[in-house]
Amino acid sequence: MKKKVLVVDDNPNNLLLEKDLLEVAGFEVFEAEDAASGIDIARKEKLDIIIMDVRLPDMRGYEAAKILRQDQATHDIPIIFVTASVMGEGKEEIRAITNTGFIDKPIDTRTFAKEVSQYLK
Amino acid sequence: MVRKRPAEKSQEYSESIINTVREPLIALDQDLRVVSVSRSFYDVFKVKPEETVGQLIYDLGNKQWDIPKLRELLETILPQKTTFDNYEVEHNFSTIGKRIMLLNARQIQRVLGKERIILLAIEDITERREIENGLEKARKELAATKISEDAAREYAESIINTVREPLIALDQDLRVVSVSRSFYDVFKVKPEETVGQLIYDLGNKQWDIPKLRELLETILPQKTTFDNYEVEHDFSTIGRRIMLLDARQIQRVWGKERIILLAIEDITERREIENGLKKAHEELTELATELKRTSQVKSEFLANMSHELRTPLNSINGFSEVLYDETFGPLNEKQKKYVNNVLTSGKHLLLLINQILDMAKVEAGKMRLALSSLLMKSLLADISMLVADMVSKKKIEMSLAIAEDLPSIEADELKVKEIIYNLLSNAVKFTPEGGKIGMRAKKTDSEIEIVVWDTGIGIASENMGRIFEGFFRVDTPYSRVTEGTGLGLPLSKKLVELHGGKLSVESEGLNKGTSVRFTLPIISTKVA
Repeated sequence: MKKKVLVVDDNPNNLLLEKDLLEVAGFEVFEAEDAASGIDIARKEKLDIIIMDVRLPDMRGYEAAKILRQDQATHDIPIIFVTASVMGEGKEEIRAITNTGFIDKPIDTRTFAKEVSQYLK
Repeated sequence: MVRKRPAEKSQEYSESIINTVREPLIALDQDLRVVSVSRSFYDVFKVKPEETVGQLIYDLGNKQWDIPKLRELLETILPQKTTFDNYEVEHNFSTIGKRIMLLNARQIQRVLGKERIILLAIEDITERREIENGLEKARKELAATKISEDAAREYAESIINTVREPLIALDQDLRVVSVSRSFYDVFKVKPEETVGQLIYDLGNKQWDIPKLRELLETILPQKTTFDNYEVEHDFSTIGRRIMLLDARQIQRVWGKERIILLAIEDITERREIENGLKKAHEELTELATELKRTSQVKSEFLANMSHELRTPLNSINGFSEVLYDETFGPLNEKQKKYVNNVLTSGKHLLLLINQILDMAKVEAGKMRLALSSLLMKSLLADISMLVADMVSKKKIEMSLAIAEDLPSIEADELKVKEIIYNLLSNAVKFTPEGGKIGMRAKKTDSEIEIVVWDTGIGIASENMGRIFEGFFRVDTPYSRVTEGTGLGLPLSKKLVELHGGKLSVESEGLNKGTSVRFTLPIISTKVA
C-alpha cells in the first residue's frame, strides 16, 4: 500500500517539484493550491501526512492546521510546514499544535523524501 | 560621500554670512577652538587670520584673550544656558588698549553629530560708555562749577559727535537736542531737518514708530534706564532695520528738565546671521532626516527584493538538481555538464542574494542574533576542516594556533561560523599555490581575538579604503578564477560589529599577504 501525502503550496513550481520527488520515493501524492481545497482533500482521503507552505493565499498555515486538528477525520494527521526563515512568522503558533514539524525552504531535493518519511507514524 | 555635500554647503553658507558682517563675530567649537571668524574681528582686534582659526580662544593675540570674565561666560554660564546676551567684559588689550565689550553668545547644535558651536557677537561699547560717563561727568562738573548751559551743551555735543555709534539726545518734549554724526550717516537724515524736530517727525515721519512711542511715552517715564529695547521698522530710505535701543534719562543740572539719550545699535545684520544659521540648521536637520529615511527605504526594498528573487531561484536550483541527479532518466554528457552549470550559477546567485539580504538587514537594524554558548575551540577546528579540502587541492599550507585557554563565548552560532568561513575561504582564494594561510585565536580581557592571515596577494594601500565597500575585488589573475561574491568581507565586518566586536584588515601592500583581525566579546553586550 502506497503512503498518501497531500502537498499544499500556492507556487506551482514548488508543488510540482515536491510532488515529483515524493512520487519517485513511492508516495501517492495529492495536490492543493490553497488551504480550503487542501482541507477538503484531507477530509475525503485517508492521508498519512500533509506538507504545507506557511503562507497560503486564503489563510496562514497554522490556521489551517487548527481546523484540521478540530476535525475527527483529520485530527491526527502529521503536518510538515515548509518555511524559509528560522524565525519565520507563525512559528510559535505552529509549535503549539501537536504532531507538526518543519522542513527548511529551499528544500534539499536529495533528502526531501527521507525527511518527510521520518514524520510518518 | 553623499552625506557630506549638503553639510559642506551649509558650512560655506554660514561662513559667507559671517564674513559679510561688519560686527566682530567669532564661532567656536565645543573645545573653545576658533572655527570661523568674521573679517571685522581681525580688523577690530588686530589679530592675524593665520594665528586665529584652530586656536583656543584664550590664546588669541599672544594670550591677550585669556580674560577671566570670558572664561566665566564660556565655561560656567554657557554650559547651563544656550543663550546669553549683553555680557559685559572689560579688558586691557596690549594692542588696542582698554575696551569694554558686550558679548552676545549663542550655542548652536550641529545637526550631524553632537558637537555644539558657540557663536559670539562682540560689540565694542567703549565709546558709548565714554559718552555716558562723559555726560555724567559733565553733569557733576556743572553742578560743582555752575558753568553756563551753553558751555555744558557744547561739551556734551562734542562728546556725542566723536562717537561712531548712532546716538540721539531728546528733551522732555521728545524734540531732538543733539545727534551724533553717525546718526545722520546711518539713517540718511539731514542735520537741518533734525535738531529741534519731534523725533517722530524725522526723515518725513519715518521715525513715527509705535514701539518707539511706547518706549519714550510709557516705559521711560517709569524707569530712567532701559536697555536692549528691540524695535523693528521699515524705513523708506534704508529699508527694514532691526535696532536695539539703550535709553537713559539724564537730569539737567540747571533746571528740572530731563534729557533722554538714545543709543541705537543696528542689529539687522546680526539677526540675519542668526536667522541664516538657524535656517541652515533647520535645512540640515531636514536633510539628515530625509537621508535616514532614504537609507531605510533602500534597505527595506533590498530585503523585499531579495525575498522575491529567492522564490523563482529556488525552483531553478531544485529542478536543476533533480535533472543533474538523473532522477527521471539519464542525460548525455553535454546535457549533464550544462545543467551542472545552471546549478552552480544558481547556487552562486542564491549566495549573493542571501548576503545582500543580510547586509540590508544589518543596515536596517533588523538583523537579530540568536545567542547561545559556543565552544570556540571545537567550532574553529570544525570550520578549518571545511576549508581543508580547498587548501590541499591548491597545495597551500594551513597552520592553526588556537590557545588552550580559549573560552566559550556567547554569540550567534551560524553568524560566527559564517564570519570565520568567509575569512578562511578568502585567505585560500587570494593565496597562490605554495603559499601559507593560518588562524590564531586567544583570549584578551573580556574578548577573544582571532586573526586569519595569509601570504597571498595582499592589498595595495590605495585599495585599503575600498575593501569594505562591497563588490570590490582586487583585480588579479587569482581573483578571476575564484568563486565569490565580493560581499564576504564587508558582511563579516558587519556581523562582527553586530556582536559588539571589531574587525580590521592589515596588509603591507601588494603581494605581501593579508591579515584580518577581529574580536568578539565573551559575554554578549547585545540583548538577544
